[in-house]
Amino acid sequence: MLFELKNLIKTYQDRTVLDIEQLGLAPGKIYGLLGPNGSGKTTLLEILGFLLSPDAGRIFYQNRPVDFSGRLLRRLRQEIVLVQQTPVLFTTTVSKNVEFGLKVRQVPKKSRAKTVDEMLDLVGLRDFASAAAHHLSGGETQRVAIARALACSPRVILLDEPTANVDAEHQAVVENIIREIKSAKGLSIIFTTHNMMQAGRLAEEIVFLFDGRPTAGLYENVFSGVIGFDGDGRGYCLIQGRFRLPVATGQPGPARVLVNPRLIKIKSQGTAEAAGSNLSGLVRQLTWEGEQVRVLVDVGLPLTVLVGFEEYQGRQLSVGRAVAVDCPAEAVEVI
Amino acid sequence: MSLLADGLFSALLLIKSLDPELLSIVGVSLKVSLASTVLAGLLGVPAGFLIALSEFPGKRMTVTVFNTLLAVPTVVIGLLVYTFISRRGLFGPWDLLYTQKAIVVGQVLLILPLVITLTIAAVSRVDHRYRQTALTLGASVLQAAAVVLREVRFGVGAAVIAAFGRVIAEVGVSMMLGGNIKGFTRTMTTAMALEYDKGEFVLAVALGLVLLTISFTLNVFLNLVQGRIRT
Repeated sequence: MLFELKNLIKTYQDRTVLDIEQLGLAPGKIYGLLGPNGSGKTTLLEILGFLLSPDAGRIFYQNRPVDFSGRLLRRLRQEIVLVQQTPVLFTTTVSKNVEFGLKVRQVPKKSRAKTVDEMLDLVGLRDFASAAAHHLSGGETQRVAIARALACSPRVILLDEPTANVDAEHQAVVENIIREIKSAKGLSIIFTTHNMMQAGRLAEEIVFLFDGRPTAGLYENVFSGVIGFDGDGRGYCLIQGRFRLPVATGQPGPARVLVNPRLIKIKSQGTAEAAGSNLSGLVRQLTWEGEQVRVLVDVGLPLTVLVGFEEYQGRQLSVGRAVAVDCPAEAVEVI
Repeated sequence: MSLLADGLFSALLLIKSLDPELLSIVGVSLKVSLASTVLAGLLGVPAGFLIALSEFPGKRMTVTVFNTLLAVPTVVIGLLVYTFISRRGLFGPWDLLYTQKAIVVGQVLLILPLVITLTIAAVSRVDHRYRQTALTLGASVLQAAAVVLREVRFGVGAAVIAAFGRVIAEVGVSMMLGGNIKGFTRTMTTAMALEYDKGEFVLAVALGLVLLTISFTLNVFLNLVQGRIRT
């Protein structure tokens, strides 16, 4: 295992931001840490980069326990580089930024210059070598930060929301760079994102984080609402004052619910009334994921439904089609 | 009005003639002020760095104490150091009183809080990600501190220049610990005070002009360097 985390806890001022019972990350893969804002993604990356120590629990790196108070920490850091969500470049030239990691590793000047050129070529910014780093745009800054990280020849590269602050054009460039470094250098790459599509495009494995815990479910069907009970005592969660989802348990009042996309059924084409189901909407997106298809249905809320490939074919689902969706109480979990 | 105009005119003539007494006073002033600024910088910048970057109980109180020390009058520092270096003082046998070294000691104590507080302010303002970036790129703790220092170099430079401006213009410490001895511990400010007492304004005005020119030159230099590097 590249990383193994056991009973890891990190708290900030009495708020537990990470609570991971067990998590293993294998070497040589691209992992996507997927979760909403505040789910602990950045904290987890900083701990994996040995920049932040956990309050409890153990971390094993390459099957060896990590001592966060030890002198070996710097040597471990030299194998793992974190690129922050909004990277800062040192107030000097682009090439000196890329050179920094090599300089602290006491790499000879000639080799440094060669590596800097290679890395700037890789991110397509060779012409910017002598430019002042603080004059670059957000996307260019992100690319220089990636080049600076790669120049250190790390075993693992950690990318915190690598495309969160860049425009669509640079987003594609950054994603291509990530794919390229994986295929060319065989690095282990762990990136965070709250973009399900990006995680699906880039990651070989996805770890879902919710409220600091890895979850088996998908986080995207998480809604805030108010739980109430009808005259027959049946529970429901009213979302945005319009959508009633049945719930089996829960206390009356404000709550967050997670709808399991595997338990939602697309019943047929047409309206909810006609199909006897509780929701209806238009198919907005279809994503093939091996044996299954991820269907994004706009029911007034973005609802993700996972259907088997055969079912997808049988129902002739396509983008823009009107569908009725049945969301049973067992699919709705109060969290 | 004619007193000021005559004084200014004569002072300019004195400066132009490179009067030996004037040059000696300016030389002593620059020597002790530079020495005390360098020493205060060597002590104060790392201390400010440590305080800004580390977390310890009583940190806020420590910063408050240094802020309070900014307001200590120069004569109080002079008096305090005097009690230590006068013949009956703890360091009396070292014969420091009325020497340039005594002025330097007093001036260091005077500007140390200034250098420390301005360094703390500069380092506290710097984005913590610079340090984190340096560490994740494999830097040691010291190398990461050097990165932060590089990022706050203008703030620290301004702190040191402000400190130099404070000591070159102070009179209390130089007078009480230096004794205003001609050719030895007479600084620009003590000489100006003496000339005023004597009713001789020409040398006082000339020294005032030199003092202003030095401060102005330093600030222009700092602005030029900042401007060139930032654009």
